[in-house]
Amino acid sequence: MKHRIGIGFVLAALCALTGISSAADQRPAASDNLPMVPAAKTGVFTATKKGADGYHLVVVGHKFSTRGDIEKYLAYRAAELTREQKASWFTFVESRSKGDTAPVPKRDPAGLRYSFRMEYFRPVWRYKTSGSPTWKSWSPFAGTVFITDDPKSITDFEVGADIDLHKGQMDDADPLAFETQAVSDLLINQVSPPE
Amino acid sequence: MVLKKRFALCLAVVALTSSTTLPATAAPWTRGFVVSDYQFAFRYGGRPDFTRGAEIEPGADCPHGSSNHFNSSNLDLIKNALARQKWRSQQEIDWISKPPGLDQVGEPAKVRNYIWRRALAYRGYKRGIETYTNPWAAEDPGQPEVTGRIAEGVNLDGKVGPNDFVSPDGEKGIDNALYRAWGCDAPWRGNSTFARAIKENMAFGLYTMVLRISGNQNPMNDNDATVEIGYSPDKIVKDARGGIAADYSYRILKSTQYTRLKAKIKNGVVETAQEKHLHMPRIAWVYQQTGDANLINGKMRLDIALDGSSGTGLIAGYKDWRDLYAEASFYYDAGSQDTTGHQDHVALYFALRRNADGMYNETTGQYDGISTAFRIRMYSAFVVDPDKPMEIPTVAGEQWRMNGTEANKAAFFKGIETRIPQDPPPGVTQTAAYPSLERVMQKLPSRDFFLTLDRPHWPVGVGVDQFGNPIDDQGDRIDSRGNKLDEQGNPLKLSQSQHQVGNGVPATVAPRQEQ
Repeated sequence: MKHRIGIGFVLAALCALTGISSAADQRPAASDNLPMVPAAKTGVFTATKKGADGYHLVVVGHKFSTRGDIEKYLAYRAAELTREQKASWFTFVESRSKGDTAPVPKRDPAGLRYSFRMEYFRPVWRYKTSGSPTWKSWSPFAGTVFITDDPKSITDFEVGADIDLHKGQMDDADPLAFETQAVSDLLINQVSPPE
Repeated sequence: MVLKKRFALCLAVVALTSSTTLPATAAPWTRGFVVSDYQFAFRYGGRPDFTRGAEIEPGADCPHGSSNHFNSSNLDLIKNALARQKWRSQQEIDWISKPPGLDQVGEPAKVRNYIWRRALAYRGYKRGIETYTNPWAAEDPGQPEVTGRIAEGVNLDGKVGPNDFVSPDGEKGIDNALYRAWGCDAPWRGNSTFARAIKENMAFGLYTMVLRISGNQNPMNDNDATVEIGYSPDKIVKDARGGIAADYSYRILKSTQYTRLKAKIKNGVVETAQEKHLHMPRIAWVYQQTGDANLINGKMRLDIALDGSSGTGLIAGYKDWRDLYAEASFYYDAGSQDTTGHQDHVALYFALRRNADGMYNETTGQYDGISTAFRIRMYSAFVVDPDKPMEIPTVAGEQWRMNGTEANKAAFFKGIETRIPQDPPPGVTQTAAYPSLERVMQKLPSRDFFLTLDRPHWPVGVGVDQFGNPIDDQGDRIDSRGNKLDEQGNPLKLSQSQHQVGNGVPATVAPRQEQ
């Protein structure tokens, strides 16, 4: 028996030396520098359970970069939370108010199905500008242009979204459905927590 | 008394009949078949009288018809695809969609096609990411999917799930998620371009697949039969009408594309047991696609004609969806298939991943496999063992293509697992129509602008053109010392240089307004 194991080791060593490889060998080594989103400071991201499968997510910061950067970070955290909860996709719950004018997303008229449609990940904003103690809010559904205040004057902001987690086959006709892994893959190299 | 006599007579008849037939039915038997048709088991629900043609019409399977990506009759399709990349300027989108001065080149449709191929190969979240190799770095462009509930296939998991199909015979629990994901994709739908290509290239000798069924009872009813499937090095023999000539001999190689399965036969229907790895030739229409299909938990259902002259069948199992993508994308430039076949490989990637339903990966929490079924048609043949063991032969002249395809697959796998965008390797894939575009747009007035679009860059002599000739970073052929050659491989006379970048003022584009 020992003799056979010895032969096995010799063969394995020979394979290694002669460069005989399998498809598995083409997979990345553990030492590769994999992309990693920097850890957020305490309080930057919060997730509050809401209902059986829902969460209310908030990202806060003091230094406004761009709307896109901050909303992508929130979307990335939504995907990661979904993964942590062993779910495979989530739906974005729109926070609409009476009088909102933005059209409600509909299924693709050409019948296309999607893993995600980032244009429909639309969180709502609250922010303060320097010298003002009051919060101002902006909704993507109100039909108004994004924050018109000088971005440099923004001293605090909060970006919030509600999501529902799902397992099993994704409803890929739902424009508000997001496949977790696909969203995470797309965003991991693009995001970092706001300051 | 009369009854007794009749009973005795019956017994005698039964005994006589049994004594004459039993030895024949219990004798060892073997039937061989050579496969003539081999395709995904997609079910087509279209109407043959539809005005848009039988390949693209809406049907019970695809209510919106086949995929219509990048159809040149609708420029909005390409514009919308390009507009998803926020880093593109509006002028860039407009020029790519409708290249200025196109009417001044000899083959305007070809030049535009190559320009589209170049642009569509780079749809990442930032410039410079080739998104056929790294589709995960692009936005999902969307894909029409099968919405019908009827599908061919096999119940692979023994369950009847909410997303399972029903077979045309009414069997529930059919697992064929690949059909849902790709069943509306234009070149796969109906009497499809790809199905015809597979059939024609098998007939021309690209590869041959054979089956051998054997048992000890009766070819039509046997509880302990064996099915072997594998690669044959012998080319299909055709009859005078171009069909499959019956009863020729084919060797079956017990190679990496061979599997032996236990089976039961009832009334000519062969049902195999499930095999952890079902190895067999995979569908291919060019050499660099050939290889092992490797279905996980695979099984077969074959329907043999009463006289044994022919048969049809389904071969099903879970296939690694990443392999499916790679096999469909890297045998040539995926952009070429997209612009001519109205596919979008980036959309196909996402459709595979969200429909994956098997081979659960505990580490990632994801499904690595997608349930798949193949449909075959086969004709009677003598399937024999080779005189001595042999490997599947390789084609030396085609090996550079195979190497390029495999290198691109490896880059794709590395990218998807590390989430670090990988550069496309040189080879047959002709990523972004490089260097083909450089060669066809010599007389295009806006050429200098299109030379600024993203494309692969390889060290001098590492890159190759579509024929495998070494090229420099301008896409020009070079010899072993780096000297430029013309397209025929002759030394280039500098006075007749045709490949230098134009000396005119490069066209410039205004940045698109921030959205």
